[in-house]
Amino acid sequence: MADMTVKGAALAAAAAGDFSDLPIHNPSIECASRERIRAIQLEKLIAQVAWTYERVPWYRARMDALGVAPADIKTLDDVRKLPFTDKSALRDTFPYGLFAVPLDEVVELHASSGTTGKPIVVGYNESDMAMWADCIMRLVQMAGVVPGDRAQMAFGYGMFTGGFGLHYGLQKLGCMMIPAGSGNTERHIAMIEDYGTTVLVATPSYALHMCEVGERMGYDWERSTLRVGLFGGEPCPPGLKAEIESRMHIVCTDNYGLTEVMGPGVSGECLASRDMQHLAEDHFLWEVVDPETGEPVPDGEMGELVLTPLGKQAIPVLRYRTHDLTRVVVEPCACGRTTARMQKVRARSDDMLIIRGTNVFPSQVEDVLAGIDGVTPHYRIVVESADGLDRMTVHVELKPEAFSDSFEDMENLRRSIEEKLKGVLLVGVRVKLVEPGGIERSLGKTKHVEDLRK
Amino acid sequence: MSVRQVSVFLESRPGHLRRVLDAFEDADVNVRGYSASDTGDYGIVRFVVDDPVRALAVLTDIGAACSSSEVLCVRLDDEPGELARVMGVMADCGINVSYSYSLISTYIALSTPDLDRAEELLSGEPVELMSQADLAAPLAPQGV
Repeated sequence: MADMTVKGAALAAAAAGDFSDLPIHNPSIECASRERIRAIQLEKLIAQVAWTYERVPWYRARMDALGVAPADIKTLDDVRKLPFTDKSALRDTFPYGLFAVPLDEVVELHASSGTTGKPIVVGYNESDMAMWADCIMRLVQMAGVVPGDRAQMAFGYGMFTGGFGLHYGLQKLGCMMIPAGSGNTERHIAMIEDYGTTVLVATPSYALHMCEVGERMGYDWERSTLRVGLFGGEPCPPGLKAEIESRMHIVCTDNYGLTEVMGPGVSGECLASRDMQHLAEDHFLWEVVDPETGEPVPDGEMGELVLTPLGKQAIPVLRYRTHDLTRVVVEPCACGRTTARMQKVRARSDDMLIIRGTNVFPSQVEDVLAGIDGVTPHYRIVVESADGLDRMTVHVELKPEAFSDSFEDMENLRRSIEEKLKGVLLVGVRVKLVEPGGIERSLGKTKHVEDLRK
Repeated sequence: MSVRQVSVFLESRPGHLRRVLDAFEDADVNVRGYSASDTGDYGIVRFVVDDPVRALAVLTDIGAACSSSEVLCVRLDDEPGELARVMGVMADCGINVSYSYSLISTYIALSTPDLDRAEELLSGEPVELMSQADLAAPLAPQGV
């Protein structure tokens, strides 16, 4: 924030290293001693395991197989006795197999793209919605958002957790929501001007696109009412954030979350330690494990983040393997909070890609291609960034017998593959047909993905 | 009387057409005419050769995506209005020429969905239809 105009006294003080004017949503938790936080976690973990065991046959069967009962959970370390949960658990039990409450108690459904054709579906009851809003209220205030702010949503609403998740939390805090949704950048900029928007919720890549479109339109970001950017949906490299902050004259933070354990809001960035995000520790028990062995790594070292939501009722997931690589530190933060901080996720232990905020697995591409006559199973994914937007191209190999001496037939084939991929990936991709044998074969692990984004 | 055209799918990248041409040369396939068109990422290259059976075998051997189809081959006199005359015959009878390209000298290849009817029409015109055997023969020396 050093070389930019900061709007508002609290953000200006924060830029100078004084965080005392920034609100802390729930100091009794966010500023509690480590002992108190651990005591809260243990109490909630014991209740959560009992809730899960009693209500979800899928978990009861797995715990019985491991010979572990709810009564065996006596310390936080006892969480290691519990089975891990992977994304496949949600897919295999689609749609309602992991639900722990009757469906008439569920007030909302959300979904994310799965590893195959079926999405991952999650549900929330009233209590879960309150927990979610609590998480959002914490992280938006870390960025200086206050009641009365006017928050413009540039995430798509729909089944994706990002849109409604941030919407409800900001509204509960007392912000005026402007539910613009995704798309039409010129209109977004006109709305910022017309409605006096102060907070923008977007993916960082879309914010950069908006910044550039505004500059081309001659919009003066420095004089704009916009003060804060709340980013999510995809990792935000520090260079990208610094560029957006200096060009749009706003303060930006990003938060971390995933649909399988709740959605956005598992952790959020404060302005005092910008490479880290404060975990909502009373709502999530975190572990950092070796992705190969599943064993805990030494304190503060890099490993895979494993999350157990505490108090989440409709879908109580135990020890969810995020495949996100991070490290967690528990030292108090200069912002005044004592909750543990995770380093922002830059890498994964699997091959998941995030394309314009949507999770994409190469295996999904593989499954689609396997169902199409006329192409081989060989493919290559190239991801680039153009005008701040992710572009994904799938190189697909034509089978010799599928060739017809007609551009129309070839283009129809190409477009039908694009349509099928879009239907499964939930994100638009470009298909490039290549000659038979045109995709490089390798004897070892084939490199399917070339990610050229910086 | 039509001739067999050989088509091949090629990525629009340096060296890809050359690989095919090298293979033709190695197998002594003589290219009598060709057309290369593209969509940006890939193209279809169409060849009229002296021996289409051997050309297809060569392409299959190198693993290329290829096919063959019948086209009309017409020899025009080398003077103004000849091309207009041939296309005019097609147009007057409502036959669509999907694509057309020129071969050695003033030979042109014509692709149309209604090949037989086009052939019948053209045989009544003062143009010469070429056979596959004609294409295998070398060009007559200048002045003959």
